[in-house]
Amino acid sequence: MTNFLEMDDDYYLNYCAKVLSRKQASASASALWQFPIVDTHDNDKRINKISFIFQDVTTTNGSNADVGIIGTFSNLHTPVPLRQIQYMGESTPYHALTITIEHGEVHRYLLTVNGEVLLDPLNPQTVTLDNKQTWSRFFTHYCSTPLSFEEWELNILYRLLDHMLPFHTEESERFIKRYYDGLDNSAKYASKEGFYHLDDSVGEVNFIDKLLCKEERHHLIDYKICIKEIDRLMRQRNPFSEPHDIPKAFYSGLYDEMASGQVPGWHYGTYDNPLYFLQILRRHAVLGAFSHPKYGGNSGGAGWAFLEGRYRDSNGDSVFDWREALEPPLGRNLDYTG
Amino acid sequence: MNEFDIVIIGSGAGGAPIAHELTKAGKTVLVLEKGPMYDAQDLSTPSTTAPPKHSPFKRDELLADGPEKILSVQGVSNNGQSYYHSHVEPDINDEPHVYKNKAGQDFATIEGYTAQVVGGGTQLYGGVSLRFTENDLRLKSFNEGRTLQKDPNDDVKREARDWPISYQDLEPYYVEAEAKVGINGTSGPQQKPFSQDVYQTPLQPNPISEYARAGMIELSKRLGSNIQPYRTPLAVITEDHLPSGRKVPTDPDSAKTSYVNRFGDPLGLKSNTWVSLLRPIKNEPNFEIRCNCTVTHLETQQDKISKVFYLDPAGETRTVSGKIVVVACSAIESIRLLKLSAELQGEFNARINQNPLLGKYFLTHCFGGARAIMPERFDKSRALDADWATDACAIPNFLDSRGLWAGAAIYNNTSDQALPLSLFRTYGSQDLDTLWKGFANNTGLRGDNFINFLDGEFGRGLSVSFMANQVPQFDNRIELHPTVKDKWGRPCAYIIKTWHQHDQYLMDVMAQQCGNILRYGGDPVNFNYNIEGQGGVYAAQNALARMANHILGGARFGNDENDSVLDSNCRAWHFDNLYITDGSFMPTSGGANPTLTIQANAFRIADHLEGRL
Repeated sequence: MTNFLEMDDDYYLNYCAKVLSRKQASASASALWQFPIVDTHDNDKRINKISFIFQDVTTTNGSNADVGIIGTFSNLHTPVPLRQIQYMGESTPYHALTITIEHGEVHRYLLTVNGEVLLDPLNPQTVTLDNKQTWSRFFTHYCSTPLSFEEWELNILYRLLDHMLPFHTEESERFIKRYYDGLDNSAKYASKEGFYHLDDSVGEVNFIDKLLCKEERHHLIDYKICIKEIDRLMRQRNPFSEPHDIPKAFYSGLYDEMASGQVPGWHYGTYDNPLYFLQILRRHAVLGAFSHPKYGGNSGGAGWAFLEGRYRDSNGDSVFDWREALEPPLGRNLDYTG
Repeated sequence: MNEFDIVIIGSGAGGAPIAHELTKAGKTVLVLEKGPMYDAQDLSTPSTTAPPKHSPFKRDELLADGPEKILSVQGVSNNGQSYYHSHVEPDINDEPHVYKNKAGQDFATIEGYTAQVVGGGTQLYGGVSLRFTENDLRLKSFNEGRTLQKDPNDDVKREARDWPISYQDLEPYYVEAEAKVGINGTSGPQQKPFSQDVYQTPLQPNPISEYARAGMIELSKRLGSNIQPYRTPLAVITEDHLPSGRKVPTDPDSAKTSYVNRFGDPLGLKSNTWVSLLRPIKNEPNFEIRCNCTVTHLETQQDKISKVFYLDPAGETRTVSGKIVVVACSAIESIRLLKLSAELQGEFNARINQNPLLGKYFLTHCFGGARAIMPERFDKSRALDADWATDACAIPNFLDSRGLWAGAAIYNNTSDQALPLSLFRTYGSQDLDTLWKGFANNTGLRGDNFINFLDGEFGRGLSVSFMANQVPQFDNRIELHPTVKDKWGRPCAYIIKTWHQHDQYLMDVMAQQCGNILRYGGDPVNFNYNIEGQGGVYAAQNALARMANHILGGARFGNDENDSVLDSNCRAWHFDNLYITDGSFMPTSGGANPTLTIQANAFRIADHLEGRL
């Protein structure tokens, strides 16, 4: 259910001035992925605050624009107005609206500015529907809906990550399975169902899927090109199997080839540096395994739990008591609200 | 209201103490801060009556370390490369600092930027709050007649300056800063006079630090001084803090999370200048803070700064004026602001540049240390930034025995590489500009090797660091870059510096002592524990960029207007009402982390200003 929240003007200014206040148009800013702002809700840990910002780039000292929003979270036909933001009692070029949305959801929306329907100029995320209409898009924390990749791409990505993280040995896979099975209901919340290959991973593929929508969307093109290239190579090397079904040794060999920079059959004219892609992938895999679960990986803290279970001091106590610092239900710190 | 008794640019260590004191004295105070207002949770609100609001600061490694961005700054040699910054550091695509490497190439860098948020660098620092020694403030006098190694041209003796104030002048303000900011630690074995010990009681150290403590004891025994280690003074409250009204959780030990250094503290237990000094006065009618405001330049009428120009959060130009104007936006940015003002107004230029010293003698610290994988594993995620420190390498006997011009504080880092992502992102990296590079390049770190790496490192890494004076050099300087501009079209800061050969010698000597601490502490029988390595920062590939975010000098204070930029009260010579109170006032950089000294000096200047207003 969507609610509308009244926020102080300073709340918006604190989040948008650093990125948007500049001599040239805000399109040159490198951190527009932050919009709309997805924030923790003050009182309900299963809800995000979503704040939409519109900057009237025609002025720095007050905007007369009539700005509204339509979206799947509310009303697709009647715009909800954005409020003009004040600074020291004077109007600014910024308009804003804050709504609440449950975790794990994906929505599309459009802005209306003086009657004209626009994509959100700040938000680089878009989605094109079957009817060819393009909308702006956002998603909330703990989202598990694939957004960047199709299933065949996810399959290859999963196989590639098999060779990087420590979660794919027999012993580790048993541990991860036991960990998921053993989560109580509140902790299970932080590992929303539906993560791709959840039984065998800690959600790192889902993390990458989300990272490439926002923070590191500049690498989406690397993934798209290289996964396609790997799919082609694997079909060439194994004409009778689907790429996600071929034996592990083929992916292991490919990893070694990519690490050496020399991949026989690779179309270097299409993507000239497979090692660079491997380096990106390795960093993303680790981020996915050990970042806060709200980003979509480290499901239920399983990556942290792996370290917690494996590493013990001389008394047999774990040397990574990660829950002590973190907010419930993920952790058990009653002072920190997350 | 646009006229104030005092306008302060910057809300960190150099600005907040003055704002606090003058507000308490009834003066009208405006603080202009470039960054946003990110508050901590309010632990004084009982959670049973009203759930505390969350803080924008999170225990979240991805937020604090930053996702990757790609540098897009034309004219620098690392254009197109990766960089990382936390959510409250400037985006160097928007506001780069540029430094010149050994080959004369320009590189954009995140090094040398403190945080851009209310509270400034004190939001992200590890909180190490050491005093300088008496000799740190009189290095010219101290070195007269001494024989120094690796200084064939007597540069050190020629360039060293005594501060225009003594340790005894500053000492009451150290006490004031320690009390009002909120510091825990122990004073006993410190080799600096204390008129009062107002430290809060330290929390129990992380058990891995015992190796460092034992090693420090053995080191001082072998050096002949038998100086005992002490608990590193840290700007983290461990008890309810009356001056700021902050309360600690029921279990004060819960402050030990290792989400410390480079993390803003969502609970406000780290004593950043917002929670310790500014939040307590935020409701006073004579105090105002304007966040998200970028000061672009100052304008003077004869010897008085008449207007401060700034861009509001929407980019609209506004002006304010103050009877007193204090610049405290961290040394590099303060020097840049003064130089930008000089470019825009002849009168300002003529006054600030009556000698050639503005921007010169820029300083950071000689720093470095040693690291080892210790025999036993401990939970390093339950730690603050540093546990034990020693002054064994800061006393005259040690300096005489090694031919060194100045000493160093040495302490063990406890929270470094404690959390999983920090372990990987700093693997093989040399600084903030090379994060993730070591891990990315080591493609063999996968599968079993990944496990082997974790088996070796997790909960076992221990480092010991030193922090020492850098030799002042005229050519180490901050300029305006001739071509690289910020997002407003203003010239960026250009950092040009080298290490003196005595700096290199000093770093080698101090790194050896840090290594010895680990050798002795890790092997109490043979005192020869195997360490991973030791060294000074000068040896790093990009040593000229390294600053440890200790950015000092460039507008040194002194008693001679021909030999300094500021007078002894940090007032710019030839201006009546312009003061610079961040680390740029320092003629020498001190043998310890600088924040507490910047704060103490700011409390001293506040006293002076209160007398003027």
